[in-house]
Amino acid sequence: MNWIAAALVLILLVSLPFVLMKFGKIGEYWVWVSTEMIIMGLFAMSLNLILGFGGMVSFGHAAFFGVGAYTVALLMKKASVPFYLALAAAPLVAAIAATIIGWFCVRLIGLYFSILTLAFGQLLYMIVFQWYTFTGGDDGIHGIPRPEILTPTNYYLLCLLIFVMCFMLMRMIVNSSFGLTIRTVRENMERSKFIGINVRSYQWLNFIIAGAFAGLSGGLFAELNRFAQTEFLHWSKSAEPILASLVGGMYSLVGPAIGAAVLMFLKIILQQAHKALIETWAIVLGCILLLVVLFAPSGLVGIYRKVFSKSE
Amino acid sequence: MAKPVLEVVNLSKSFDGAQVFNDISYTVEEGELSSIIGPNGAGKTTMFNLITGHLVPDRGEVLFMGQDIVGKQPFEIVKLGMARAFQRTSIFPRMSVLENVVTTIITREHGNLNMFKAFRKRDKVYSEAYELLKSVELEGMAERQSGVLAHGNQKRLDIAIALALKPKLLLLDEPTAGMSPEERKQTVELVKNLWERLDLTMLFIEHDMDIVFGISQKVRVLCYKTLLAEGTPEQISANPQVIEAYLGEEV
Ligand SMILES: Nc1ncnc2c1ncn2[C@@H]1O[C@H](COP(=O)(O)OP(=O)(O)OP(=O)(O)O)[C@@H](O)[C@H]1O
Ligand SMILES: [Mg+2]
Repeated sequence: MNWIAAALVLILLVSLPFVLMKFGKIGEYWVWVSTEMIIMGLFAMSLNLILGFGGMVSFGHAAFFGVGAYTVALLMKKASVPFYLALAAAPLVAAIAATIIGWFCVRLIGLYFSILTLAFGQLLYMIVFQWYTFTGGDDGIHGIPRPEILTPTNYYLLCLLIFVMCFMLMRMIVNSSFGLTIRTVRENMERSKFIGINVRSYQWLNFIIAGAFAGLSGGLFAELNRFAQTEFLHWSKSAEPILASLVGGMYSLVGPAIGAAVLMFLKIILQQAHKALIETWAIVLGCILLLVVLFAPSGLVGIYRKVFSKSE
Repeated sequence: MAKPVLEVVNLSKSFDGAQVFNDISYTVEEGELSSIIGPNGAGKTTMFNLITGHLVPDRGEVLFMGQDIVGKQPFEIVKLGMARAFQRTSIFPRMSVLENVVTTIITREHGNLNMFKAFRKRDKVYSEAYELLKSVELEGMAERQSGVLAHGNQKRLDIAIALALKPKLLLLDEPTAGMSPEERKQTVELVKNLWERLDLTMLFIEHDMDIVFGISQKVRVLCYKTLLAEGTPEQISANPQVIEAYLGEEV
């Protein structure tokens, strides 16, 4: 990666809320949107550890996003745990959930793996939905406290900081021998066994890591909205990072985050242009996906690389 | 006598009731370069799948360096020192030729769990991988994406991957399948060279009789669901049963 470009992007991102805040209410709204983009970007990147790098299509990744969100919500609301501690617990609890769910899922491959992740995701969704006394069921958990210091701008900056730290961490992971090993398994699972890779255990570990990052993003999302809802675990939430990865580019680390931001931006622009236009979002999304799949299978990052003729 | 590396004892295998072979026993001794021949569908590849843990036999034992390996996972057997190359080439297509070998070396050294060091910084692994590519004459295309190589080169990369494991026993399933006569000759030379240079035991499956009789010390004939004959190339080519069953039509 080009360090100068990265530094420039970072400076831009850091100064963004300060500029936006000069535009009053509209500006504040966009700070909120940008924060959500960062969080969803982290969520998409976490999925891509298993999707793009590991070659495992999970339809249940929102389970870990939701577990992270509910961890923060429950700890803060019911146990009055301070935000930072609750946030730190989110990836841990999500990792535990991923350890259990992953143990079953990596026993299957291909479509069967995908369907089992979907089943577990929906199972968790149903549990949260039904367990009214603990999770608030359909109502969710509202009124998560917000530490005073976390103004919209500060919360944006906190999320950005966490995003950058996670990005560095994931970069280290995918460039490490472990990262090479999961790519090796993606490329040819059968051959991997015959060079001595214990395929299941590396897929499992990767699944847990991805779940932990998803949990962290879910925790951040709960605090952003100051509520947690069953929707966070729903399978449609699992589709979002898949679409973001497709649009942004599955074979790069940052691609899914870019994809998530671009999709959210388009959706909001559509909404702002005219309220009724949001009805057409599914069509717009469909067209975007069609174009990507047909003409840019490596997504936006792939296009960028082609234009600047950089290799993977 | 040399000690056995591989002992196959009363091995039987069937698929959905259709018997592939029954009660096969033989021993591969240390340092041996030997082959398995047999008509199409005789069960040669199945034999390798049983030895490497990919399939489980109906009955019988497989001993590797004296240890019973039936029921072990392929990756566990690999770690004991057995490697194979495939009849239908099996490589990591979207990785460079060099990375194909690098990832294998890292696995051999149990380095897969290391998350903190970029694998590209492992200079020793890279130089070893490069040396290995030289020995199979692929060093010129080290940086190329392996999936776009010509068939013959992919086949050699498959062998290089197996070699990168530094195995005690190397199983090659038709190393020259699908190659031009010229490539075949080169590959046979290569296999023979590797065997002479490295300290390993080799067992290969082959269709081409010239190759089989040219380089093997011992030939095993798999036919009629059994091990029809076993011996030196001279013994095999003079064996009336083998001639009738198998060679008759080809010679
Ligand atoms: N996994 C499997 N399931 C069912 N049948 C199988 C399986 N593998 C092989 N067979 C059958 O077992 C028989 C032996 O196959 P195998 O591939 O071992 O033969 P081969 O001697 O290697 O042949 P070739 O010379 O064509 O490579 C064939 O009839 C094949 O169809
Ligand atoms: Mg075969």
